[in-house]
Amino acid sequence: MADTVHPAEKTENGPNGPNTAVWRSRAVVRRSTRAWRVRGSAAVVAVLMLSVLLVPPFAQLDQQAVDLAAKLRPPSWTHPFGTDDVGRDLLLRCVYGLRVSLLVGVVAAVVSTVIGTAVGALAGALGGWTDRLVMRLVDVFASVPHLLLGIFIVAMFRPGVWPVVVSVALTHWLSTARIVRAEVLSLRSRPYVDAAISGGASRRRVAVRHLLPGVLPQAGLAAVLMVPHAIWHESALSFLGLGLPTHQASLGTLVQSARGSLLAGDWWPTLFPGLCAVTATLAVAGLAGAWRERLNPRRRSELML
Amino acid sequence: MARLAGRRALFAVPVLGAVTFGVFAIAAASPFDPVKAYAGTAGLSASQETLDQLRANLGTDRPLVTRWWDWLTSAVRGDLGVSSALRQPVADVIGERVGWSVLLASAAFLVAVLLGGLLGVLAARRPGGWTDRAVTSLAYTLEAAPPFWLGLLVMWLFALRLGVLPAGGLTDTGSTVVTAGEVARHLVLPAGVLALSQLPWFVLYVRQGVGDALQEDPVRGARARGLAERTVLTGHALRSGMLPVLTLIGSRVPELITGALLVETVFSWPGIAAATVESATAADFPLLAALTVLATFAVLLGNLLADLLYGLADPRVGFDG
Amino acid sequence: MTPRTGSDSGSSGNSGSGNSGNSGTGGTGGNSGTGGTVLSVRDLSVRFRMRDGSYVRAVTGVSFDLAAGECLALVGESGCGKSVLASALLGLLPGNASIAGSALLGDDGLDLLRAEERVLAREVRGRRAGLVPQSPAAHLTPVRTIRSHLRETVRELTGDAGSGRVRAAAGRAAFPEDHLDRHPHELSGGLAQRAATALALVGDAPLLLADEPTTGLDRDLVERTVDELRRHTGDHRALLLITHDLAAAGRIADRVAVMYAGRLVEITDASGFFGAPGPRHPYARGLLNALPERDFTPIPGMPPELGALPPGCAFAARCARASAACTVVPDLVSGVACHHVAVAHA
Repeated sequence: MADTVHPAEKTENGPNGPNTAVWRSRAVVRRSTRAWRVRGSAAVVAVLMLSVLLVPPFAQLDQQAVDLAAKLRPPSWTHPFGTDDVGRDLLLRCVYGLRVSLLVGVVAAVVSTVIGTAVGALAGALGGWTDRLVMRLVDVFASVPHLLLGIFIVAMFRPGVWPVVVSVALTHWLSTARIVRAEVLSLRSRPYVDAAISGGASRRRVAVRHLLPGVLPQAGLAAVLMVPHAIWHESALSFLGLGLPTHQASLGTLVQSARGSLLAGDWWPTLFPGLCAVTATLAVAGLAGAWRERLNPRRRSELML
Repeated sequence: MARLAGRRALFAVPVLGAVTFGVFAIAAASPFDPVKAYAGTAGLSASQETLDQLRANLGTDRPLVTRWWDWLTSAVRGDLGVSSALRQPVADVIGERVGWSVLLASAAFLVAVLLGGLLGVLAARRPGGWTDRAVTSLAYTLEAAPPFWLGLLVMWLFALRLGVLPAGGLTDTGSTVVTAGEVARHLVLPAGVLALSQLPWFVLYVRQGVGDALQEDPVRGARARGLAERTVLTGHALRSGMLPVLTLIGSRVPELITGALLVETVFSWPGIAAATVESATAADFPLLAALTVLATFAVLLGNLLADLLYGLADPRVGFDG
Repeated sequence: MTPRTGSDSGSSGNSGSGNSGNSGTGGTGGNSGTGGTVLSVRDLSVRFRMRDGSYVRAVTGVSFDLAAGECLALVGESGCGKSVLASALLGLLPGNASIAGSALLGDDGLDLLRAEERVLAREVRGRRAGLVPQSPAAHLTPVRTIRSHLRETVRELTGDAGSGRVRAAAGRAAFPEDHLDRHPHELSGGLAQRAATALALVGDAPLLLADEPTTGLDRDLVERTVDELRRHTGDHRALLLITHDLAAAGRIADRVAVMYAGRLVEITDASGFFGAPGPRHPYARGLLNALPERDFTPIPGMPPELGALPPGCAFAARCARASAACTVVPDLVSGVACHHVAVAHA
């Protein structure tokens, strides 16, 4: 038990002499690491973004440089991630792969959020039949495993960026739609909306002035939260050979092309692209989580007397 | 309870109908020519006449709705078409392979539930403690890791580096008879990786549920009665804390299928998930359509199971559907 | 019974803890009990640390003794800190609570407030001090039957969980056998109360804490419940009855302690409280007069928030006798804490 002595602590009840109570607590005090974790996530995201933006223009030639003499070298000082099966530096390849994956991921997340926001807002704002229809649609989409639907979509088209984007968008708009619909429904019932309508504001004005400002932050948050999922989905599709074409380096295609060397015993072409994906995912999700805490703070627990 | 199942069955029909229609619609938008896909390499040298005949036979020139309806009506009767890539009736393909997928999924699910439950409880006992922090970090990291990447690394470690487990397939190469021992050995890695991919959700949910239960009145009452902390944990906090997990267990079927798609591919496990990927790569539409529908059916079944379990487990809840 | 003379033996053991001006605790030896002191509380204070860093002082400087065979009724309005006191004695407070003072239990003088959690769990709770909690049904696990609760408690506290023992335990609180296989939410208020009482009595603890045992029950059930609690107390057990129901307390209490805004404002024997000369503290007087059987006039105003207690006497704002002296917290002298009461000596 932790003892804290408060010498000469005055009681609230005025000049009654110093209160030298020895207060004891059974709680174990644990320092919260949340702030450090958020800072860590921000730092990692900054590093990733910097490398993704700054490295490619300078290393354009190097990443394609095939050097068969240096093929499949394990990690070393000159090649921190090792080299792949045709001698390319894996660290550079990973940076390129990360860039492509991030790009595709962000675009896919944005498209998915736009679809979800539109559908959710429509359902929440119009209500009635539209709402019920939309909810049924959501149920239908939710009944199909998302990767399966994703595979189906890309299977029907040749490998490329846009089938992947469409695949992610069509499988991930559900959660955004639900969030936006809930937000719109809650905003609709607020008194100031009623006041605006009874004051003569048109529906469009109400929508733009009152509903949109509440919906946009939620939609934005949903988009950021979606990026890790989009990256995951794209890498899975690319790994299966259905996503991006193999000559295009994304984190998924890198792992796929590393399969051959893995069976021969070389682990690094497989490990590092995946590690980049995990790191990027954790960092982005960490930041997004902190933003979500700020946006939707949890209620303080109540004191029971 | 029967009423709940009945209502769900009723609800399933339009859902399956919508899914199948969606599947056909997407295929209709595809630039792939199903006739060429069906004909395969033979189609390259076939004459235009033959191709047209094939087209008429396959009925690919008919409107979308007609094709969908025909497929639906024959599917209900049991005829799911013929796989263009495997040259086998789709029903046969499914029949041969679905058992192996069920085996893999069940084994993985069991491990995930048990291990996830254990870790979740250990983490919830002392919130913020070292075990809690370690378990939570592990859960979030596993959640971020792509299952195929995990699978490849695990395969490298155990099959190639340490050589203690086989690298894939159902049986050892060269064996003609399938024995339970061989299957069990080959099951370890894929089921383990699939379990790892499902673990985070169970860990976090059990941790949440048990953690909440430990703060609530029933646990306070149990402690006040003088019960040992272990009894309080297993007899009271766990019982109440597992209820939310139980409700949602059936909703994990989609994630399980998603994971199986990747794991079966990595480990060359002869299940229907691997077949799905193969058929997608080959643009084998009949097989793909049937498998998508099967997966949807499994998801709906999982949801129904979850509601039934919850109704049985919690005496306060009735089956209102 | 003669009014108690104020004695100072309670404060001699304090080494600088709590309000140093405390001169009397209003009751060391029991006067209706046959046994020794079961519980001796000195300057018990409980405060909760809120998220914004401020403190809510739920209990301040409470002192009393409890003897075997005695029933002490701790009365006060809702939110005055009575339940917090019970939780503090058994170490069941939430994590943001801190306590000061001492609470010595039994012959060996184990300080409940200083004891390790392990000691409380293994030796004290259920065995040396039993709790009948507020909202009894809520303190049982919803997915388990009453029988399973009883069997588990009987097994852990006595080592033998035969069905005979379980039935006997249920029978002690007159819990009907045919309801043993029900779940907590299926029980009526009265039955849930009996189940909780049965569970609290399994360990035969010499100290019984009953936290609001009559809430939600109608009048005749209230009377039956408190009478049964008295019966359980007998000669060998001490009962601390926490309630806001003065009439119920009047039925069975040997002594009455009145709490207001976290402090004890009066502690005296029951006959002197409910009969002549009546309560001496203006708040206690007002409480009694508020009963339907008496004047049925409520006390004007509301009790203060425990997080924003005024300096000085907390009741001054509602008190007809308030004067300049009330800016200082009155000490508990001869069983009453008020600047405007002439202390009667027998």
